[in-house]
Amino acid sequence: MNGDGSSYDAAEASHRALRSIQRELERHPTISTVRGFPSGAYTQVVAEVAIDRLETDATEGTLTVRWFAGETPEKKPTFSFHYSDDNGDFGWHHEPNPHVDGWGHVQARPDSTATYDYEPYAFSSDSPARVVWEMMSQLVSTLQSR
Amino acid sequence: MDDEAPGVEAWKEQTSAFDRVRSVAGSVSGPQPVSYIATEALVAENTARAHLERLVDMNVLLERDVEGTAMYEPDPLHTRVQTLRDLLDEYDQDGLLELKAELQEQMETWGRDYGVGSPEALRRRAAESDDAAETREIRETANDWALLRYRLDIIEQAIENYAAYSRDSPAPA
Repeated sequence: MNGDGSSYDAAEASHRALRSIQRELERHPTISTVRGFPSGAYTQVVAEVAIDRLETDATEGTLTVRWFAGETPEKKPTFSFHYSDDNGDFGWHHEPNPHVDGWGHVQARPDSTATYDYEPYAFSSDSPARVVWEMMSQLVSTLQSR
Repeated sequence: MDDEAPGVEAWKEQTSAFDRVRSVAGSVSGPQPVSYIATEALVAENTARAHLERLVDMNVLLERDVEGTAMYEPDPLHTRVQTLRDLLDEYDQDGLLELKAELQEQMETWGRDYGVGSPEALRRRAAESDDAAETREIRETANDWALLRYRLDIIEQAIENYAAYSRDSPAPA
């Protein structure tokens, strides 16, 4: 029990976050399908991006989302929204990384053999539902500017 | 919450105020006041309060008084029942037993690979690593392990109560 009398289970909180993320992605106009992954285990959410609704030369694109609520309610969540297609992969991550100061960063590489470039990134929220819409906005603009 | 933040306008266009309040309040990690939920959900506090009270009536959220302030958090029972229903819609009894075995095997593999018996012990192992990439990998596995353990507990509940919970079970004669 926490000091405020509520119980806290990091796995339960993470599972709720992943469900919320799946629901928000289902609402987004540039997502075609969303599922818990691996099937039955549900440690991540995987979405197919509706590439045909965007101005990009990619043929298909997949967004993989991980989210783990902090080990205690006071700790920050770790999460990532990582996109990949036949032109490379990139993603927004919120977790410690030796290549950047702070937790928020973007990592990108042009193909699977290249090394990642890292840039700091400031998330405007750590609410799972809000972060989905922020990440989708960033994803769409990145895809259309490539 | 910054109204100019990326995605804000699209979220407002695609969802109702109730949807946003439900999404934000349903995914907080601990009890939160109306002001926090209203800010994150991009609604006025009075609107948030009305929707939160409705969600409490629907048993989606719990309301508790913390030093005179109403705080809201998800009802863990609601989350558990939703997950149970999803599992029972997707798997029959044999499928649930197979899924249980798969998750157990995965956790046993992690236990053997890292020589520990729980995600908590694995997380302590991550803290001892001097290599940043290894630390990240171990922490990620510990997180996945914790999620699988939570899910396994619900799968076992579904198996134990399959006849009572399943929509396909025959009605008693």
